[in-house]
Amino acid sequence: METMKTMVDACIGGLLINLQLWPFIYMLIGCAIGFWVGILPGIGGGTTLALMMPFIYKMTPQEAFPFLLGMHSVVQTTGDITSVLFGIPGEATTVATIVDGFPMAKKGEAGRALGAVLMSSLIGALFGAAFLAFTIPIVRPLVLAFGSPEMFMLILLGLTCISTLSGHGKRGLLLGLMSGGFGFLCSLVGQDRQAGVLRFTFGQLYLWNGLSIIPVVIGLFAIPEIIDLAVRGTGIAGNVPFGKLGKGVKDGIKDTFRHFWLTIRCSLIGSLIGILPGLGGGVAQWVSYAHATQSAKTEEERAGFGKGDIRGVLGPGAANNSKEGAGLIPTVAFGIPGSSGMAVLMGAFFLLGIVPGPDMLTKHLTLTYSMVWTIVLANIIIVAVCLLFINHLANLTTIRGSLINPVVLLLCFIGAYTSNNDIGDLIVLMIFGGVGYFMVRFRWPRPPFILGFILGKLAETYLYSSTTRYGAAWLIRPKVIILFCIAAAFALYPFIQKRFRKADLGEPDKI
Amino acid sequence: MNLFMVVIAVGVVLTALKWPFKTALFPMVIGITVFFMSFAELLLSLFGREERGKKQSAIDFKLSEDVDKAVALRRTLLTFGWIIGFFLFILFFGFSIAVPLFVFLYIKLYGKEKWVISVTMAVMSWFFFYGLFVWLLDTPFEEGLVLKVLKAIVIG
Repeated sequence: METMKTMVDACIGGLLINLQLWPFIYMLIGCAIGFWVGILPGIGGGTTLALMMPFIYKMTPQEAFPFLLGMHSVVQTTGDITSVLFGIPGEATTVATIVDGFPMAKKGEAGRALGAVLMSSLIGALFGAAFLAFTIPIVRPLVLAFGSPEMFMLILLGLTCISTLSGHGKRGLLLGLMSGGFGFLCSLVGQDRQAGVLRFTFGQLYLWNGLSIIPVVIGLFAIPEIIDLAVRGTGIAGNVPFGKLGKGVKDGIKDTFRHFWLTIRCSLIGSLIGILPGLGGGVAQWVSYAHATQSAKTEEERAGFGKGDIRGVLGPGAANNSKEGAGLIPTVAFGIPGSSGMAVLMGAFFLLGIVPGPDMLTKHLTLTYSMVWTIVLANIIIVAVCLLFINHLANLTTIRGSLINPVVLLLCFIGAYTSNNDIGDLIVLMIFGGVGYFMVRFRWPRPPFILGFILGKLAETYLYSSTTRYGAAWLIRPKVIILFCIAAAFALYPFIQKRFRKADLGEPDKI
Repeated sequence: MNLFMVVIAVGVVLTALKWPFKTALFPMVIGITVFFMSFAELLLSLFGREERGKKQSAIDFKLSEDVDKAVALRRTLLTFGWIIGFFLFILFFGFSIAVPLFVFLYIKLYGKEKWVISVTMAVMSWFFFYGLFVWLLDTPFEEGLVLKVLKAIVIG
């Protein structure tokens, strides 16, 4: 009872901190920066956090965290806007939104897609913040119970999503697996962490650290869209008249509540993945997208994914925001940063004279809850602002292709370049742009490639850590066996679902 | 595409043969798997039934099919040309010259827009690039090869 009272007091105290004049102003400044960081491709939230560090020297912790988190917690929300409107990922964690969001923009439904993605982002962010608020005291055993064997099995679980993200039919699955395998191979480029051997670097120093995800993702997803736009010779929204695009916003918001439980489930997926250090939003968005495709009840419904199904926008939109709140848990409570952005944030803790860890749950509990409120308030403010300007944003898709194409291409090149500030980034962008174009042309699904690319190196690292630490004994750890069973069920689910559907319809199984 | 994957997979496996076990394990396993899958897909596309109908379509966007094939091919090649051209501009002249130059040339030559629009867009894109990335974010951009050579000549 006493603990409950302490938590409620801290929760109210946290809100009051955020509503003070200077913390609130700093949070607004952070939100404004985060808005543009999210919109512009390439500049990640983590990098911007690092750039903002010099400004917090003279701030108190009560001012610095609203400023930093206000910025960091909204980049996913506005990153989704770029993904929907231009088919360029605003952030590496908003790629999955492109798959269905951009086709909607091309059909003249940019307003509806934006309404849906903003509302699902808000729900996701609120869910993540609530998750952070309620689980901090009880989450310690869960996070600490996950060693490298369990992390490896979780990665395997993530890889099983390839079957869901592949095309339809047996050939579609084969192409999906090949695409995932190709992504996996690309992730192996660079110096091997076990023996220090250089793999597929072709004598290039640039490749020693492996391929950066930003130029790869921008090339793979944005270049084919730019080429298609040039081929069509119209604006993104085709010949839909100017001013008609923002009209679907209400429908988009309604869609979020029509598929409310899907949004909540995807938020939960984002939070659960976010809580585990090392996986992050790159994985959360695809797992939730895969889950969204599983919600299709018929073969025709499933075929609509990738062509502008609203559920494909809602799932990743919710997940990449909900993982933000949950991602703070290991950083704040145990001092284990789950991502590069969180590592920079941990630097801010030390800079302000605060040690992350158990103290954050006792001595600094009010400050911890102020972080929760920052995520809540920043997202409410940014979504409200975006909804106000949504018509203008949606109308960007009616600009002539000849004017929008060079600007989008410019954003792609600068976005890719800023990942390493190396001309090699541009070469990678162009190579993967070509690969992406041919993948689309020959109907190879691109999402499995990204999943293989993100998880490949992690899988290798965790497998070797497990083997070095436990030998073969890690295979019989109870949690490993449970996770393996879940992974197997997840991989087989689409086939089981299909078989049941066929049985219901009385259709013969065609080979 | 399948042939490309077969070649990549063979290349990966052959390269990995020379490495120590731990370094080679993942490239070998994934490479061999991808090789067999892509070889099977290659055989299926050469000799198998045409199955690439609606049922086999990927969860991904499709290229527009309502444009005449010859026009589509010409526009695709042209766009690839512009992308490579932009890269070469950056390589030779650096970002600060390449950005307005590319935007102007694309809008004027490819888009056939009016002079005013082309110049305005070029100037605006330069201000956006310089103001945000150079002035505000202090991003280090490499100089173009031409500028480097000119500097070397002037300095002697």
